[in-house]
Amino acid sequence: MAVTRERFEQGMTYDQYKAQMTRNRERFEENERAFQPTAEDLAAFTALPHSLPVLVLAEDWCGDVIDNLPLLGRLAQESGKLDVRIFLRDQNLDIMDQFLNQGQYRSIPVFAFFDDQLNELGRFIERPESVTQRRDAKRREVFAEHPELGSPDTPITQMSEEARTQLMQLLASWRAEQKPAENAEVVRALRAIVERVPA
Amino acid sequence: MPKRLVKVSIAYCAECGYEPQTLALTEALMKEFRHELSEIELIPWYEGSFDVTVDGELVHSMFRDGGFADHHAVIAAVRRHQAEAPEPAQGQAPTTTAR
Repeated sequence: MAVTRERFEQGMTYDQYKAQMTRNRERFEENERAFQPTAEDLAAFTALPHSLPVLVLAEDWCGDVIDNLPLLGRLAQESGKLDVRIFLRDQNLDIMDQFLNQGQYRSIPVFAFFDDQLNELGRFIERPESVTQRRDAKRREVFAEHPELGSPDTPITQMSEEARTQLMQLLASWRAEQKPAENAEVVRALRAIVERVPA
Repeated sequence: MPKRLVKVSIAYCAECGYEPQTLALTEALMKEFRHELSEIELIPWYEGSFDVTVDGELVHSMFRDGGFADHHAVIAAVRRHQAEAPEPAQGQAPTTTAR
């Protein structure tokens, strides 16, 4: 089942999406402000021969949406070459179920890029695999450096409150430091999709 | 013999919108057991977690088992732990079963 033009145009614009957010808007807009695309990255989008429709599935409570949708929003605003329309996942399962992560999971955000005939060019789901792997590796490194935390395979519910608090603080500070690098991975993934468009 | 008071811990991903499932399980436990639980602990976490531990036993993990915990399975685990012999009070010998 393809996405029709009529269905696509039912989506919210980026500004309409932000206006209807009921939570996390401050974090979302901070991520938007803090994102600094390189000139080369921006050029990849500005150089598109024409505007591309980009269908987005999102929800305002989702951490990956808060992290990654602001990047797409800035790229769209600054390049003028991405026509972004946003659908709330839980109210648009007919669309969501066409973009399941690994064919199973309703992961968000979804950024689906199309040509002007609404043929799909490619999709970005949740976060780059490289980011997931890096976070997992860091988690294991933290446990190796802090044996008092126990085993990295210990379920959170079985850790002491003290250990959980220590772990959360260690990972939170690292994740904040990694934001620029993770943003770069996201942009790299999006560039890989748009660079398939013939000049 | 009084039932053991059992602790249930639920670690849920607080950036994944898992609050409804967390609160639904909490409500189910509260209504099923009322005063028969020592504690229901809610742990905001991340990384897509939904882990349920009953007296230290991991009875459900989204990572390990997929999806959210089945309420009936968690209730059954609580009942199983309740049926275990309570820890002896200080100064008393542990309860033993004659062979």
